[in-house]
Amino acid sequence: MKNEKQPRFLSLPGIGDLALSGVRPLIGISLGLLAGAVLIAISGVNPFTAYVAMLQGALGSPQAIANVLVRASPLLLGGVGVALGIKAGLWNVGIEGYMYAGAIGATWVGIAALPVSPLVHITLAILAAGVVAVIWGVAPAYLRAYRGVNEVISTIMMNYVAIFLVSYLVHEPQPMAEPGSFFPMSLQLAPTARLPILLRGSSLHPGFIIGLAACILFYLILRFTPFGFRTRMLGVNPVGSRYAGVNVKRQILFVLLIGALAGGVAGAVEVMGLKGRLYMDFVAGVGYESVAVALLAAGNPLGVIASALFFAALKAGGATMSIQTGVGGPMTIIIEALCVIFVIGVGYSERKRLTRADKAVKGDEEVKHNVA
Amino acid sequence: MSPDMIIDWLQATLRWGAPLILVAMGEVFAERSGIINVGIEGIMLTGALAGIAVSFFTGNVFLASIGTMLLGALLGLGVAYLTVSRRTNQVVTGLMVNLAALGGTNLLFALLSESRHERVATFPLLFPASFSEIPVIGPILFRQPVSTWFALILPFFAAYFLYRTDWGLNVRAVGDNPKAAATAGLPVIKLKYEAVILSGIFAALGGAALTLSEVGYFASGGMTAGRGFVVLAAVVVGGWDPVRVALACLVFGAADAAQLRMQAMGSTIPYQFLQMLPYVITLIALAGLVGRTRAPKTWGAPYDPADI
Repeated sequence: MKNEKQPRFLSLPGIGDLALSGVRPLIGISLGLLAGAVLIAISGVNPFTAYVAMLQGALGSPQAIANVLVRASPLLLGGVGVALGIKAGLWNVGIEGYMYAGAIGATWVGIAALPVSPLVHITLAILAAGVVAVIWGVAPAYLRAYRGVNEVISTIMMNYVAIFLVSYLVHEPQPMAEPGSFFPMSLQLAPTARLPILLRGSSLHPGFIIGLAACILFYLILRFTPFGFRTRMLGVNPVGSRYAGVNVKRQILFVLLIGALAGGVAGAVEVMGLKGRLYMDFVAGVGYESVAVALLAAGNPLGVIASALFFAALKAGGATMSIQTGVGGPMTIIIEALCVIFVIGVGYSERKRLTRADKAVKGDEEVKHNVA
Repeated sequence: MSPDMIIDWLQATLRWGAPLILVAMGEVFAERSGIINVGIEGIMLTGALAGIAVSFFTGNVFLASIGTMLLGALLGLGVAYLTVSRRTNQVVTGLMVNLAALGGTNLLFALLSESRHERVATFPLLFPASFSEIPVIGPILFRQPVSTWFALILPFFAAYFLYRTDWGLNVRAVGDNPKAAATAGLPVIKLKYEAVILSGIFAALGGAALTLSEVGYFASGGMTAGRGFVVLAAVVVGGWDPVRVALACLVFGAADAAQLRMQAMGSTIPYQFLQMLPYVITLIALAGLVGRTRAPKTWGAPYDPADI
């Protein structure tokens, strides 16, 4: 491992990894926030005032913190779905679509007045969300695993199809649509299918607990199970893992479908916890932000917790900043993207180091698996 | 279907295919050099807004094109710096460029609110209006703005540059075997930069063609609607060959045109299913044709001059 630019101690095993994995994101995020400050200044607002407003909006009161946790819920679930793919060397950027698909499933079961307890109804609705999202993920996952179709393009195509499908379902005269409403939307979910509110005076629902649990679960799976080992091996060296007897195609299929499942639950949580019904464009880019969340965490499920909370704080604080200082709302999306760009730009990404490590086997096959 | 409708559809096919072709011609060179510029969706979106903004303030479409291309070159330079010099992952970089462009255009468009939905100067017709009186080919070919004609001719020039000039040969060599190219004395990094900057220029111009050829206004919230990704698919489906990629773009343009015609005709199919059509066709084309074409050998892989 030769790299003249790095101090020697960073190439020591263990210490170097820890220092790099912790320091680089922090440097990158700082630079991203700095670049955001420059943009805010250009738009004619004092960046300090803006960032103070942002901080207040994110952490200034229990309600603000509750708001951050509400916004973190879909990012945790979506982010961990993308992260699993990253560990396997796959770009599962279809979270937006899985969220729409999952929301369809959850709404379908949720609007029915079932004579069951809330726990059963909620479970059924989340299950339905998972099933619909996984079905939604089958086409791109199968095409990637068995036909070598680039998953970036296919999942994004599926995102657009999902958006139009939801638009169709919430318009009259579809059975799911609310009759006579001005803005197209679905019927309201039955009270038994709503996630409970945890903090009075806020919209805090247990979605973030589901998200945190998913992150920890995915971490344990990746770290301690044969499935997780195969996933990581696939990401490090697809050719090697095939020689080691891994059914690479099936592994790719499962990794992508599990990502779809996580995305579907994210959509369900958004509908059942926050919105109460299905709208057109109800996700509004959260799926793409989940990709940024997972990238900031370099695909580490525990890192997703930190980056999802960070992005949620940016979004929640950004709304306050927008109201108080007049900086446009989309500024937070730019800052998110800048943070990720700086983090990956600051140093070689995790993936790059891995690529260097196994460059001995670099050949046509490997290049194909890396990107195709 | 009456002949008139078919003529109308073919005309719209060229018009909706043209921006895709423009974007694709740059992307072909970038990918031939080994760099997948996934950011073309975002650069296209930026170009769509920049074209409208410059046209709004100057009233001059020519200046709007130049300004848009300069902006595209700048964004291409950014992508090239990250992917070539910093060797960041190309997919990650592109996706973040797209996210930043979505936020950036929404933000700027809100500031330029006076131009909202106000039609601005658009690309003029290349031929006098009287030409479109010619039966059949008149309306299809001659009722087209300059940008469409440029897009229809460009693939042949692109093919010439790619296959018949030293520069094109060098770009292909860099994408297929950068080490050999470097050994032979080619400036690998410089060539990759040039190819990626070219993809930025044409992506932005394609965006401007989208807003300035017909609609004449910008719509907030990502009005390119995944067309950059459709182009990425077209490049794969067309086997990295400029002319075949352009044909693939026309097929996707035809799908776009068809769904718009069918909506206008009041088809009994719900319009949302018509809107899905271009995306579904892209997916099917990708599934059916992938693997039958040969990708540049280091497609998407980072190049480290220190690697021997």
